[in-house]
Amino acid sequence: MNFEWQVISNNFFFLMGGLVTTLELALIAIAGGLVLGTLVGMGRLSKLKSIYYPSTLFVNLMRTQPLILVIFWFYFLMPLILGRPIGGFTSAVIAFTVFEASYFAEIIRAGIQSISKGQIDAAYSTGFTYWQAMRYFIIPQALKNMMPSLITQAVVVFQDTSLAYVIGLREFLRSANVVDAREMRSVELYLFVGLVYFIVCFSMSRVCKKLELKKENA
Amino acid sequence: MIEIINVSKWFGEHKVLDNVNETINKGQVVVICGPSGSGKSTLLKSLNGLEPFQEGDIRVDGISLKDPKTNFIMLRQKMGMVFQRFELYPHLKVLENITIAPIKVLNQSKSKAGQKAMELLERVGIPEQAEKYPGNLSGGQQQRVAIARALAMEPDIMLFDEPTSALDPEMIKEVLDVMVDLAKSGMTMAVVTHEMGFAKEVADEIIFMDEGRIVERGTDKSFFENPESERAKEFLRKILI
Ligand SMILES: Nc1ncnc2c1ncn2[C@@H]1O[C@H](COP(=O)(O)OP(=O)(O)O)[C@@H](O)[C@H]1O
Ligand SMILES: [Mg+2]
Repeated sequence: MNFEWQVISNNFFFLMGGLVTTLELALIAIAGGLVLGTLVGMGRLSKLKSIYYPSTLFVNLMRTQPLILVIFWFYFLMPLILGRPIGGFTSAVIAFTVFEASYFAEIIRAGIQSISKGQIDAAYSTGFTYWQAMRYFIIPQALKNMMPSLITQAVVVFQDTSLAYVIGLREFLRSANVVDAREMRSVELYLFVGLVYFIVCFSMSRVCKKLELKKENA
Repeated sequence: MIEIINVSKWFGEHKVLDNVNETINKGQVVVICGPSGSGKSTLLKSLNGLEPFQEGDIRVDGISLKDPKTNFIMLRQKMGMVFQRFELYPHLKVLENITIAPIKVLNQSKSKAGQKAMELLERVGIPEQAEKYPGNLSGGQQQRVAIARALAMEPDIMLFDEPTSALDPEMIKEVLDVMVDLAKSGMTMAVVTHEMGFAKEVADEIIFMDEGRIVERGTDKSFFENPESERAKEFLRKILI
């Protein structure tokens, strides 16, 4: 079997364009998923039924659906709701943010629960509001505890974004796909794609290991 | 001044405060004792609204906690609280533990809050610990920081929930000394403690709780010398040996 690695160099900028889309999608989904997930995670701990039930429903609904279905939902639903077409990228961003938020929410709920109730009593007793107590005391401590789980989930999000190819979004995998259709060099292309995924994910999990070690030593 | 009027509280089916009545006047020190599970912490936490109660009322300087218009955030700024397990913020340095509420809640400047915090650390005897993290302090030092943190808000009332019961014996005195000073300076205090030496020295009144009720109350002398209830007698026998 003879490899022709020029297929990579000849299409390098095209492929990197796809990787940029993948990274953009992953970063926006991670940031958006974290923000939404924090709110939902807090909602899952609320004493107010009107906040607890919708948050819980949201988490359970999302976590029982295959991601690919959620991607389809938003791709076909959003134009109906908004009354105008939206691009594949926008709909993918929304789908990933919402889907990943449900996973982040459970991590964050556990993180908040790991902080003793005495901390919030202490904050309240000097006149802090709920939001201030969360912001200055509970979330910073919880974040430290949950950093490894958050990074693990971020790696999963990065990998998950490849599913956006089903709605024709030209992310990294899809770009390789396009090149392959033209040049018929599947082995080289998909080896390269795999290598890039490996490098990105492996370095993220190294960071995660480091943080876990630091936590154990602390 | 705190007025506790016919307060009852349930956790589900379980009645943890049973028709509690008590008045703490300005400048008074009231010591609350009683067996574990008798409702002391719950009573203390209901004074600053950390625990809601179903029946009765509590008035702090005339402000009713049952009034829906009452602003708990404002109320708590005037009532400091000290906890059995200190509850310092582990991710903040000692000085920041003390300054964060004055800065974020009262909008004081960093320098003013920092200066005040150093004065308070002098007062509790550990100014040299300002730049350390709470995890590097002994229990007694942490509890003194916690007292300084509460005092930084310049409260009118201080609530203490078993402030020395998580401490090694050799550290109890350093915390009690700070509390005695505070009592003598005229602070209004409600103190849950079994430190009867402290009670004898500064308490204006001692109340004994059992199963959510106040079953005995008195000045230190009457309480220690001739308690009326069997429960109080038995309790005193246990803690005074
Ligand atoms: N959050 C809670 N939920 C249910 N029961 C509680 C809660 N907090 C305290 N209790 C119960 O209320 C009673 C009084 O508790 P507490 O006020 O902590 O007593 P003490 O401080 O005197 O030891 C105990 O029986 C305890 O188990
Ligand atoms: Mg208690």
